[in-house]
Amino acid sequence: MKAFTLHGRRVLILMCMIFLMSCSRLPVIRPVDPSVVPDAKGQCRRPFLDTPYRFIHSIEVSFPGGKTGTVIGITVFDPTEKTIHSVIMTLEGFVLFDARCEKEVRVNRAVPPFNADQFAPYMMEDVRLIFLAPDGKLLDSGVNADGATVCRYQGRRDATVDVIVHNDGSWGIEAYNTSHELLRKIRAVDVRNRIPGMVELRGFGFREYSLRLKLISAEPVSYEANRIRPGKTPDDDE
Amino acid sequence: MEYMMENRAKRYVLLVGILCSCAFILAWVNTWEDIRRESAKITSVSAQFSQQKHMQILTKPLVSKGLFYFQTPDSVRWEYTSPIKSVLLMQKGSIKRYTQGSRGLVEDASGSLESMQIVLQEIGRWTRGQFTENEHFSATLKGGKGARIILTPKEKGLASMISRIVITLSPDRQGVIKSVKIIESEGNYTLFEFNDVQINRKISETLFREVG
Repeated sequence: MKAFTLHGRRVLILMCMIFLMSCSRLPVIRPVDPSVVPDAKGQCRRPFLDTPYRFIHSIEVSFPGGKTGTVIGITVFDPTEKTIHSVIMTLEGFVLFDARCEKEVRVNRAVPPFNADQFAPYMMEDVRLIFLAPDGKLLDSGVNADGATVCRYQGRRDATVDVIVHNDGSWGIEAYNTSHELLRKIRAVDVRNRIPGMVELRGFGFREYSLRLKLISAEPVSYEANRIRPGKTPDDDE
Repeated sequence: MEYMMENRAKRYVLLVGILCSCAFILAWVNTWEDIRRESAKITSVSAQFSQQKHMQILTKPLVSKGLFYFQTPDSVRWEYTSPIKSVLLMQKGSIKRYTQGSRGLVEDASGSLESMQIVLQEIGRWTRGQFTENEHFSATLKGGKGARIILTPKEKGLASMISRIVITLSPDRQGVIKSVKIIESEGNYTLFEFNDVQINRKISETLFREVG
């Protein structure tokens, strides 16, 4: 009887946990008077550049336990074509990861552990989240508790994506799963001419991690420059 | 999603330092014997370097700059001053790397015992001018003024990361290299160029121990 009671309690606790998890809620968006916030949707496009750009960042990666590592990230994206070309390399210039995302992710080079299963799609999804505007349906817009403008979009794989634009020009992005649990949280600060000097991304879930992208350079690129060109073999005599 | 570099990548990173450090021991050479003889004369090197990364994704190379110090038998300081401050220190069997981050100059998580052992092995060989005995690379010497040494990986694993390495010696100044080019694949290579090279000058031992 005692064993049954203990077992029953465990089941009850488990059910309560499942119930609580299923009750996770997305942050509240309050509707706004159009005369106060005239163009919420327009403001929510501000974090995303309209033309192809090349960004070079130093990326500080924080691992569980407080250890950190630094790499260089190069990202070229075309918001019209929805394409991304991303390269990660060491400070010494050794390329660890090189992939393009058009209709699907194509990995040009991946050194272990960057060749791990599912690394490339997850990594490119993070890059997409930072640089490309959500292409899903706009579900809601308004302001959050802090008074920042928020637009809620239907994200990929049934996720929900909130784009949050603060009055000081900084912005954030939050992605939630279907249970409304936070998957990614992005914060962009030191924004000048729509280009953030610093972007922080935190990943939640099974493996938590954080990336701190410090801007080295940002420059517009032509569509042709974003296309793959035949490689030039360096001349040893140079 | 962990970006922790594993052994092969670490080996590359460290090889860059080794190649650049040990290549300074070269001189006007025509034969491997010349290299061995000249290498015996070098006790220390200090230099400024520029690193140009050429890739298809870049329309112009990404340039990094820094300082380099080497003291026989195995002390190295490989320091980037821009665009990211980072210091790699190797001394007496110990290797550490510090990079400027949100918490200041902090130790990088990519060091390992295995890479340290490789470093020491390589330094020992190269400082003795033993290019031809290298277990990782086959070496070809194109001698004369402005000679070049071309290194080709022996291992399949390393060859998948590095196609070849070309070390070009200064045609004007004995004992000084002009550049080291590490070619990873078509259109993807890193060029290290050195200037203000000082040979056999006294270098403070603390430079190999302390970051600041």
